[in-house]
Amino acid sequence: MSQPNITLYTTQTPNGIKISIALEELGLPYKVEKIDISKNTQKEDWFLEINPNGRIPALTDTFSDGQTIRLFESGSILQYLVERYDPDHKISYPAGTREYYETNNWLFFQNAGVGPMQGQANHFGRYAPERIEYGVNRYVNETRRLYRVLDDHLAKSKSGYLVGDRATIADISHWGWVAAAGWAGVDIEEFPNLKAWEERMAARPALEKGRHVPSPHTIKELLKDKAAVEKSAAQAREWVQAGMKADAKNKI
Amino acid sequence: MPLKPIKIYDHGPSPNPWKVVILLEELGLPYTREHVDFAVIKKEPFISVNPNGRVPAIEDPNTGLTLWESGAIVEYLVETYDKENKISFERGSADYFLAKQWLHFQVSGQGPYFGQAVWFTHQHPEKIESATKRYIKEIRRVSGVLDKFLQDKQYLVGEKFSYADLSFIPWYLIMDWFKIDLAKEFPKLNAWLERQHTRPTIATVIERRSKEPFE
Repeated sequence: MSQPNITLYTTQTPNGIKISIALEELGLPYKVEKIDISKNTQKEDWFLEINPNGRIPALTDTFSDGQTIRLFESGSILQYLVERYDPDHKISYPAGTREYYETNNWLFFQNAGVGPMQGQANHFGRYAPERIEYGVNRYVNETRRLYRVLDDHLAKSKSGYLVGDRATIADISHWGWVAAAGWAGVDIEEFPNLKAWEERMAARPALEKGRHVPSPHTIKELLKDKAAVEKSAAQAREWVQAGMKADAKNKI
Repeated sequence: MPLKPIKIYDHGPSPNPWKVVILLEELGLPYTREHVDFAVIKKEPFISVNPNGRVPAIEDPNTGLTLWESGAIVEYLVETYDKENKISFERGSADYFLAKQWLHFQVSGQGPYFGQAVWFTHQHPEKIESATKRYIKEIRRVSGVLDKFLQDKQYLVGEKFSYADLSFIPWYLIMDWFKIDLAKEFPKLNAWLERQHTRPTIATVIERRSKEPFE
């Protein structure tokens, strides 16, 4: 195993903390570069060199050939980290095993399903300039449907994790999103197995450390305070809309 | 021993299963297709195959594995059956990770938003201007990212055609639904797609898909 030289480009979001949580679980050293989404830093040229899609998280590392590798997409960054730095399979399974492919299956379920759909629920419920009732309902309900799939699956799990006997990158990938269910307008109380899983994950020391990168993870406390939620949503609405306008101008 | 056919569950011209069909053809693997009706897709017996009630899903009798996320299926098929790395990359190489990255971009960045654009332009009975615009705009943004990246490249990874490239094909087959002229707006992206469409395998699959009825 070669020496890691990892820099994580991130923001306090459900996608960003996936990577810091995995890095903490693996006990890897890493530098953190905080990206200021409110200033659209993720669309600056230097960052687009790392991620042409202009999103966080992104990661750079010295690869085994001595060259720098630049990676974006949280799902593939997680796969990279375990493939290179998890030889003991603390949060993964050996390549080619049934559990390895099932882990990837749930990892993709999060990245192609839960993330995008819950993200749309956030948009229509929190950030959109006008209230579109249909949009809110469509995506809240789709997120609930996906949570139901997770809840039913976890009900059958002996270990309480998504695949096999341990927490893997598939669990880590979901956690920040599930912890922020209330922000999307989803009531976690509807999903007792998922709620218990969220708490089980939160009790892991590495998760506790990784979730506060690059700044404190406060969504769970925030969601208990209605006035603070409204205030925070108004702020977010402002910079999300500014970002949308900038996107339209720059076309990235 | 010859391989037993892999069963793929699909639904007419619906884009995501075609990604897997193209891949199966490119790898020359035997397969059978099973159409899943939308009326029963979220019911037994199908949800025992895919608890998420979506297509594609595969059952591979050669390994006993069932998988149901197109991205995970693609990775599984290349890792299991493309040992010579015809359309993939040597395990653990930089290109191996970069190909995964682009596949993830396809399933999380292209699929979900192109899919929402279809919903608001062609399926939802009520016209919601801002939602329609939101997703059409996202199609253009994603296409812009690819077009720019492909300025000086023939393919996404390692200067060779791979599963990362082909995974983007199916959703781009319906651009006329959105009145987006790829050749005009995104010439490099368009050239990259055309380059892939000329592969005999892919040309045949696209032809076959075009004959599948919409429900």
